[in-house]
Amino acid sequence: MIWAGVLLLLGTFTLPVLPYLWASASNDIASLDTVQNNPRANFWRNVRTGTAGYSAVGGPEANVLINNDGQNWRQFRMRLLAPYGSYLMGAVLFTIAIFYALRGPVQHLSNEPKELLLRFSVYQRVVHWFTAILFWILALTGLILLYGRFVLIPLFGSSGFALTASASKEAHNLFGPIFIVALFLLVIEYARDNFYRKGDLSWLIKGGGMLGKHASAGRFNFGEKIWFWLVLLLGTIISFSGIILDFANLNFDRNTLELAHVLHGIAAILFISVSFGHIYLGTIGTKGTLRGMTTGYVEQAWAELHHDKWRPDDGATPEASRVPGAPNE
Amino acid sequence: MSDFILGPFWNFAVIVFTAGVVGRIAMILMCGLSKDLAAARGSSVKGAAGTIARRFFPRKETIRSNRFHIIAGYMFHIGLLALLFFAAPHVQFLKNHLLGFGWPAMPHWAFILSAEIAFAGLILLWLRRVMHPVTRLLTRLDDHLAAWLTFFAMVTGCLALFESFAGLRVLHVLGVELLMIYFPFSNLMHAFTFFLSRGASGARAGRHGVKA
Repeated sequence: MIWAGVLLLLGTFTLPVLPYLWASASNDIASLDTVQNNPRANFWRNVRTGTAGYSAVGGPEANVLINNDGQNWRQFRMRLLAPYGSYLMGAVLFTIAIFYALRGPVQHLSNEPKELLLRFSVYQRVVHWFTAILFWILALTGLILLYGRFVLIPLFGSSGFALTASASKEAHNLFGPIFIVALFLLVIEYARDNFYRKGDLSWLIKGGGMLGKHASAGRFNFGEKIWFWLVLLLGTIISFSGIILDFANLNFDRNTLELAHVLHGIAAILFISVSFGHIYLGTIGTKGTLRGMTTGYVEQAWAELHHDKWRPDDGATPEASRVPGAPNE
Repeated sequence: MSDFILGPFWNFAVIVFTAGVVGRIAMILMCGLSKDLAAARGSSVKGAAGTIARRFFPRKETIRSNRFHIIAGYMFHIGLLALLFFAAPHVQFLKNHLLGFGWPAMPHWAFILSAEIAFAGLILLWLRRVMHPVTRLLTRLDDHLAAWLTFFAMVTGCLALFESFAGLRVLHVLGVELLMIYFPFSNLMHAFTFFLSRGASGARAGRHGVKA
């Protein structure tokens, strides 16, 4: 009786491992690890190749049981786009901070009494800020969708993040199409003065005046022109890919949606990164520049330093002229 | 917190809104009009009705110079009215809680389009207000508060559209409540008083036989 009990226990514990012991003894364990650890593995591996079969359900990809592209896209988003995007944005911010610490703001010598020049009309400023406001609504909501799980879950908890992410998605989808309209208005209004002109390259060679030597420029310098065309290029990519993502229910196949998302994400991160430079140069980096985009007026000394080839009457503002009595805010 | 927002605070907002709007209109009506001693040369009723209707359309003499304001203004007001009276959740709310009857709501795509038009109009109008040197000088805190509260109520409504989270709906209700409480004491009263001001000047002009 005792021996029977011992044999039962031994059998119970050893029988399940007998196949492993046998395979191990016959040196088949290595091949088991790679291809045959699950007899159905090859079957599922074949399924994941995406071969189309038959399904009574209609619609794009309905005949494919498992589409592995979705997994590839997820890996790209989580392992490439999110980390490298954050490295890029962080590097740009860090570079700006270092540059500001070393160089400080670019200042112009102010004449007394200050003579003011009209640089941007009301409409031009409205269009600029319209685009900027929408850009930052979309940038912040987009960043929440991409990085929220890393940054916000520790702060808000899972439920709080779910609510924030849901709200961000709705806001992103809602304001996206308005941004396209804003981008169109911006391009139409500012394109005329942003084409390449003689002297732009020498401005670039002189580092835009940041390297010590004065760099001449017209109404917009070459850096501003590059930013303008980047806005158009990246904005167009974001707009088209965003429309595809916004109307995902219009029978787009999975690969189109994945491609749209990849392009959308890359373009958006580049756009945000470059915008840091634009914001820096337009605010604390160059004294007196922000005023041009808020009140419309800049000091003559500022204009002579940064845009000495610009004459107010060759700007896009029809009413542009020297306005000695303009608001001094 | 949600219970307070959906319960007592909602009742408070409704009372302030109703009493405030009725009170202000009553005060305006009680001021009355100075007696017009001139002999009547036309109908004051026709003049009032005509002016109320005519001023919905911009004068052709000022279209060119005011086109930005006109377009953005119509975008915002038409978009907002469509959202207010034809968004499915609003129609349902009015039917269940206020009127007892409803009407066909607009489809989802029309809701999104209306919201986008209204948002674009509101942002553009506010930007013009702060960018134009004259309107900037004329702008008071009241104008900013009205614009921002309207924006807040609209945006929270859009965020709560799919009602995925009760919290978003409560946030929208809070936005609407704040707007309702502020409404009677602000320039937002023009939503009710524009009839009176147009009607008064139209009636007087109509009685004199001229168009206002």
